[in-house]
Amino acid sequence: MSVRVVIAEDAALFRAGLARLIEDHGHQVCAAVGDGDALLAAVTEHQPDVVVADIRMPPTYTDEGLRAALEIRRQHPRTGVLVLSQYIETRYTARLLAGNAAGAGYLLKERVADVAEFADALQRVAAGGTALDPEVVGQLLRVSRRDGGVAALTPRERHVLALMAEGRSNAGVADALVVTGGTVEKHVASIFDKLGLPPDEADNRRVLAVLRYLSP
Amino acid sequence: MALPVSTPTADPPPGDQRRGARAVLVAPFHQRAGRELVFCLAGLPFVVANPVALFVVALDLSWLASSGGRGNPSPADAVVAAVSVGLLLTVLVSTAGARTLGSLQRGLAARLLGVRVGAPPPVRSRFAGRAWPGPRDGAGWRVIVYLLAKLPASLIELYAAFFWIGGLVNLSYPLLWGAFRNHPPGVRLSPVPVFTPFGLFGEGTFRVATLPGTFAAAAAGAAMLVAAPWVTRAVTSVDAWLIRGLLGPGRLAQRVHDLELSRALAVDNSAALLRRLERNLHDGAQIRLATLAMNLGMARKKLGEGGEVADAAAARELVDAALRGAKDALGELRSLTRGIHPPVLDNGLADALASLAADSAIPVELTVAIPVRPTPAIETIAYFCAAELLANAAKHSFANTIAIGVAGARGVLRLSVADDGTGGADPTRGTGLSGLTQRVAVVDGALTIASPPGGPTKITVELPLRA
Repeated sequence: MSVRVVIAEDAALFRAGLARLIEDHGHQVCAAVGDGDALLAAVTEHQPDVVVADIRMPPTYTDEGLRAALEIRRQHPRTGVLVLSQYIETRYTARLLAGNAAGAGYLLKERVADVAEFADALQRVAAGGTALDPEVVGQLLRVSRRDGGVAALTPRERHVLALMAEGRSNAGVADALVVTGGTVEKHVASIFDKLGLPPDEADNRRVLAVLRYLSP
Repeated sequence: MALPVSTPTADPPPGDQRRGARAVLVAPFHQRAGRELVFCLAGLPFVVANPVALFVVALDLSWLASSGGRGNPSPADAVVAAVSVGLLLTVLVSTAGARTLGSLQRGLAARLLGVRVGAPPPVRSRFAGRAWPGPRDGAGWRVIVYLLAKLPASLIELYAAFFWIGGLVNLSYPLLWGAFRNHPPGVRLSPVPVFTPFGLFGEGTFRVATLPGTFAAAAAGAAMLVAAPWVTRAVTSVDAWLIRGLLGPGRLAQRVHDLELSRALAVDNSAALLRRLERNLHDGAQIRLATLAMNLGMARKKLGEGGEVADAAAARELVDAALRGAKDALGELRSLTRGIHPPVLDNGLADALASLAADSAIPVELTVAIPVRPTPAIETIAYFCAAELLANAAKHSFANTIAIGVAGARGVLRLSVADDGTGGADPTRGTGLSGLTQRVAVVDGALTIASPPGGPTKITVELPLRA
């Protein structure tokens, strides 16, 4: 599936590399801009499937990318937002995921070197999934409160949930853990059960479980 | 804090004697003279509410109470008076009343004399929710000392004020004579007193009883009025000296204040330095390395899994870009580490400055005479000052040669950077020079700029040898 992408990144070399990488994977780069305001304008103009945005951009070099991303999530809920950063800031993650982890991603810039995985994450966010850097998950894990049922999970189940939080599908989790799909499904069902997520919310349960897990 | 940054001002225009004479004549009509006169008169309450006057009053009261005012006050009366005045003063100091008097006096001096003196450090101790300096408040006791010194000072100030009054009275005699003493000839009139600096009160110095005599009095009055502003100025400047010395923050408190300022500067400087460093790394080497990793990732993909290379040309191009990126990142890191601490500085300031001079686009003549090696912190500051000043000269001066001199003598390291360029360096423009001034101030150093428009420029940095 080819997705339409808008890139916002102030370092020209990195921006050009990103555009090339994304186009190499058969996607379309509608616009590549250098700051938050230009990003908002480009999104309004092109209505892309997904936005790849650096957090720190001119003019203040603090969090304009993140603020633009939140604005996009508010105004264009169908556009996925994948933010890149050289740091992991738990506060930023919390703001990005507040209330809804669908169609949002937060990756360290260096993950881009793993070309295939990055392309995969991009596609997932474009399709309304999540893509969280393992570092992000690890940090949230350290700071998150152990309640809301998460404490009742076995270490194995917690591992499965962490992989889900990174945005992996059941098959992806199975690959990572080197187990069968059936085993993963069993774990996932048990997680939903322990977190008190009833089966009739099937569509939402995955995201809800992740949010419960990540909520600080 | 007084940062001794001096910029040369143009020479005053050639002295004009006529202008000087005019200044003397119009001085009495100048606002400043009026304000100084008011300040002298405002000293009157201090004559009354003075520890000495209070002692006299207390002595008399005690004497009246003990012996009904008969005979002479006994030594016991003196002791009672001294103790009660001492107690009163202690209460005045303890309750911050003395400080209030001091701040009133500082306010007067600021408004009327334009002498602005900083307040003493604020009272930190509290009692029942209010600032309560207590009986050991140095600032309060210094106000008491000022009040004691103010007694003679305010008497002289009042004397100076009578220059004005006496002068005006003398000056008015011919008019008064014409208006009120218009008697038929032969009537003998009582003489009027003429005041001079040697007899300013009561009957005056001498008396005149004729109209021509009143003109002589008027002439004396005019002379006094011309002299009056200078007399009031002289006394008020003595008072201002007392105010600065006794009502200000005190030398130790001032030093503490200066140190607090320079500590804040140092903290700000190091925070700014770290921020700049983070920024440089984030926007420089870090993003270059991320780009490099991305290029390598893409190249690996182009190389494919098996033996067959899918897209060799594209892969080579990506690897080339990665290689360039690695070299650039290395360059950035090198200049960054050199900016943090140039390794050559470990060999001493002379070597470091020599290597700095060798890199300069404008020829540099370097003279170094440092018998005692400064501490590393001082060497670092001196080095970065020299580097910044050299860069400034290269950017702005259009100079042909630059002379850098470093000399250490009597505990002071003196660095001077002089060029034969166009001059006009202004510390208020840009952040370079003011940043250096701050950096130097952190170690109690000083930066002096001499850069008249048209040049030449000489900037001198003085640093203590140890910090």
